[in-house]
Amino acid sequence: MRTRLRWPALAAAAVLLVAGCGSEGDGSSDERNAPAATTGCASSGELTMWERSGGNKQMVDMLVEAWNAKNADCRIKLTYIPHTEMVGKIAQGIASGEVPDLMGMDLIYAPQFEKAQQLVDLTGRIKDWPELKTASKGHMTVATYEEKLYGVPLYADVSALFYNKDLFERAGLDPAKPPTSLPQLREYADKITALGGDVKGYYLPGNCAGCNIFTVGPLMWASGATIEAKDKGDEPLVGDGVKQVLQFTRDMVKAGNVHDGDRTENGETFHLQFGSGKVGMMGTGNFNITLAREQNPKMKFGVALLPGMTPGSSASFIGGDLVVVPRGSERVADAVNVMKFLLSDEVQVEVYAKALNLTTRSDMVDNRYFQAEPLVQDVAKALEVGRTPYTLTFFEQINSPQGPWLKMLQRAYYSDDPIDTIIADAKKAMKDIAGQS
Amino acid sequence: MRARRGYLVGAVCVAICAVMLMPLLMSVLASVKPTAEAAATPPTYLPHSVSLDSYQRLWSYQQGLPTYLWNSLGTALLTIALTLLLTVPAAYALARFPIPGKEVVFVVLLLALIVPYQAMLTPMFLMFADLGLTNSLFGLAILHTAIQLPFSLYILRNSFGAVPRELAEAAIVDGASSWQALVRIFLPSTVPAIVTVALFAFIMSWNEFLGALVMMSKGSKFTLPLILAAARTETSLGGTDWGMLQAGITISIVPCVLVYLLLQRYYVSGLMSGATK
Amino acid sequence: MGVAAKPVEAAVYRSRRAGLVGLAYLAPALAFVLVFTVYPLGRMMWMSLHNWSLLTPPVYVGFDNYERVFRDRQFWVSFLFTLKYTALITPVLIVGGYLLALLTAHNSPLRKVTRTVVFVPVVIGLGVSSLLWYWLFSADFGLVNRALVDLGVVSGPVLWLGVDADTSNFAISASVVWKVIGFGMILFVGAIQAVPTEITEATLVDGAGYWQRVTRVILPLTLRTVLLVTLLSVIGSLLAFDQFYIMTAGQPQNETATSVFYVYLNSFPYLKLGYGAALSMVLAVTILAFTVVQLLLARRSEV
Repeated sequence: MRTRLRWPALAAAAVLLVAGCGSEGDGSSDERNAPAATTGCASSGELTMWERSGGNKQMVDMLVEAWNAKNADCRIKLTYIPHTEMVGKIAQGIASGEVPDLMGMDLIYAPQFEKAQQLVDLTGRIKDWPELKTASKGHMTVATYEEKLYGVPLYADVSALFYNKDLFERAGLDPAKPPTSLPQLREYADKITALGGDVKGYYLPGNCAGCNIFTVGPLMWASGATIEAKDKGDEPLVGDGVKQVLQFTRDMVKAGNVHDGDRTENGETFHLQFGSGKVGMMGTGNFNITLAREQNPKMKFGVALLPGMTPGSSASFIGGDLVVVPRGSERVADAVNVMKFLLSDEVQVEVYAKALNLTTRSDMVDNRYFQAEPLVQDVAKALEVGRTPYTLTFFEQINSPQGPWLKMLQRAYYSDDPIDTIIADAKKAMKDIAGQS
Repeated sequence: MRARRGYLVGAVCVAICAVMLMPLLMSVLASVKPTAEAAATPPTYLPHSVSLDSYQRLWSYQQGLPTYLWNSLGTALLTIALTLLLTVPAAYALARFPIPGKEVVFVVLLLALIVPYQAMLTPMFLMFADLGLTNSLFGLAILHTAIQLPFSLYILRNSFGAVPRELAEAAIVDGASSWQALVRIFLPSTVPAIVTVALFAFIMSWNEFLGALVMMSKGSKFTLPLILAAARTETSLGGTDWGMLQAGITISIVPCVLVYLLLQRYYVSGLMSGATK
Repeated sequence: MGVAAKPVEAAVYRSRRAGLVGLAYLAPALAFVLVFTVYPLGRMMWMSLHNWSLLTPPVYVGFDNYERVFRDRQFWVSFLFTLKYTALITPVLIVGGYLLALLTAHNSPLRKVTRTVVFVPVVIGLGVSSLLWYWLFSADFGLVNRALVDLGVVSGPVLWLGVDADTSNFAISASVVWKVIGFGMILFVGAIQAVPTEITEATLVDGAGYWQRVTRVILPLTLRTVLLVTLLSVIGSLLAFDQFYIMTAGQPQNETATSVFYVYLNSFPYLKLGYGAALSMVLAVTILAFTVVQLLLARRSEV
């Protein structure tokens, strides 16, 4: 019985040891002889690809379709994995050797997998690509670990401040002048809430860690603070901006500027909120442009940058997915070709931009589709002031529904605990988590 | 007085039926709302117009609803077959034969009912990967059977034990072997319990989520519960597609209710008699 | 299965050879259980003595994980919440189920239909039922709040799920009661119908009222079933997972994360497989203890 129990563990350990040895890995041994990447097939046969659900599914479907239209010989067969289970699924896949040929992954989890040597090192194959010079810097930061490259952007989401021009007008505000600082935002929110009815000036998601890092995190960045603890010993939540923003949100809630129901928002109906027409201003993402139009075609709205405490300050969260290659994949060359395809001029314009999604290369922002759509251009500006958090424990620190980030915000929004205590508690918890990584 | 009491009881019965059926009815109604209305806040009680939008989206979702229905159905049928093949002889044995240490066997099986199987899923997955059983309906059916076995065995053993001794004796006197007795005497007598076991196995397998999630990594092998989970995070940034969710709920419910209504006769009596021991 | 049976039983079922024949019938199930239940169980016990994140090899830590379990605040939060949930839902299920059984024990057509209808939620699957009620209890999109507001019972949406542990407990319990009460009801109906009519007739002659008849005659004679259903109900509630995973995902702050939910969190998203296994073992032993206590109490009451 003992041998039986030990064997699979030994086998797993052996596989991982061998895999971790670097020089034996799939990527690096033929890096020097790697063929130049093309946007076609490197070998024939179906490519299996995983992608998390809950992301920009339409975008990914379109990209896969575009690839399949051009490369019938190595079509991609896409499987969506429920996003809450993605990390576990990948780990299981790698441990059992049943990995897809390539996969899309929420970019903030990349560092964790890179550190654990679970992604194929692609540096030799892609580092000289000119496209990477202008690829989303948020994505490329998290795609890099210890100077090695592991992937390229699959799609980009960016957060911004959406505001309802109709409500602005009704409240006597100038619809061409969105707020440029948090105190000004508060002023405007008060005026809009005063309109009464079921209308509120602002929105704060109460039960969704990810929504908050996406839309409230940038408020702190814009106010000069930092949030995550990168690694062991790092100090999280540094800067007065943290306290100021928490106070700002608490005051917002107390002033009655948000709907009661916001408190239950767990991310699943976040995308429906702005389009309801009942919210004056809301931090949300570029995807909300087409969504709001579909939901509420008559509503006039604008897009601005998320502000900080001081006028003119702004920041944004660059999110989205990376495309990476899991260790054990047998079609690395093909995967790399897919990456080249995604970054190619034609795909950037005719697939990304045409669908009014952000191009993952900043030099492709000036295209005919965007020129016809001022809102998308506004949102694309957010890329310039945007950043992506880098930490090996993003999920436990920030994205987890039970983590210290959401807890801190919930206490700030809905309780009367002293803000300094709230911040101190969160700092301690985040530091502990980072220390265990 | 009696008559009034009768009316009161009748009214209460009707009220209870209404309360029990209302949620299901509302879900079915919501599934035929047009997409925008399904996502409206506040929600409408009855659909303002009928549309099959949500069903269309569900039908053509990724690999297509038929694939997922087939996977769920195939797994459920395999689970029923495997469960019955294993537990009928085993229940026969435990109920009628002097097996050494059989109480121990029985207790061990019941213990399996108590251990939460969630933590066992990952080691089972690794084992199945070694055996090549992942991404297969048969592999998932094995998992479902393992989960369902203790409960099925309990029900069947009670039922086998309840067969009157005289009946079995009569067959033996006629020169039947234990196998023939099983087939000719015991099986007909335990049909209600067998149907109960089959129905529970079907319901469990049809609705099981976590095991299916762990065992299947190819979209073409996903089962219906996995698609329902997907409907919850279907639109951008993890938004719920309410219409598609309702359609999925409706589709999930229909086979279970149908099978139940058809087999009710056996099944209810199976529960009422077999489990009270 | 009475002990006072016929003194001579057919050789087929009594001979020494019979034991082996029985074993042969048992063998397939036994083999299956050894491979697919006992082995993973053993593997899980082995895992509980290690730290293993799947991405790195397992590391032996002895009983560390078990020690951690008892020092883990979240374990106690989960355990206490699970107990709270069990304590809330069990009486409702038993009393409610029994009352429904009394209501429908007669075999008149209307009552048979009622029985059938009440049982329908039992066959639909806990996951689907949880999704259904997740929708109904949704603060902005659900019908419960819409109805409450329309009836004037509340002025604004009630935040049923994920904001307050007690409210969530109530909402989830309501949904589970809807789903499983039929199961208890059917078992109780079976037991009530098994009460010999002579006994009930006798009490009628004595001039006993309906409720007296119930409490003095029917209840004691169906006690065994009541205890059985209670036992099954308690075990099921202590092992509750699906409904919490779907309806609140453990929110707020893991306050509605039941014990098994916590096992799931460690085994999957947190990738702490060894710790999850240890939690599982501790849970299993706890439930076993509960079960033994209940069985002992049951046995005592049968005298």
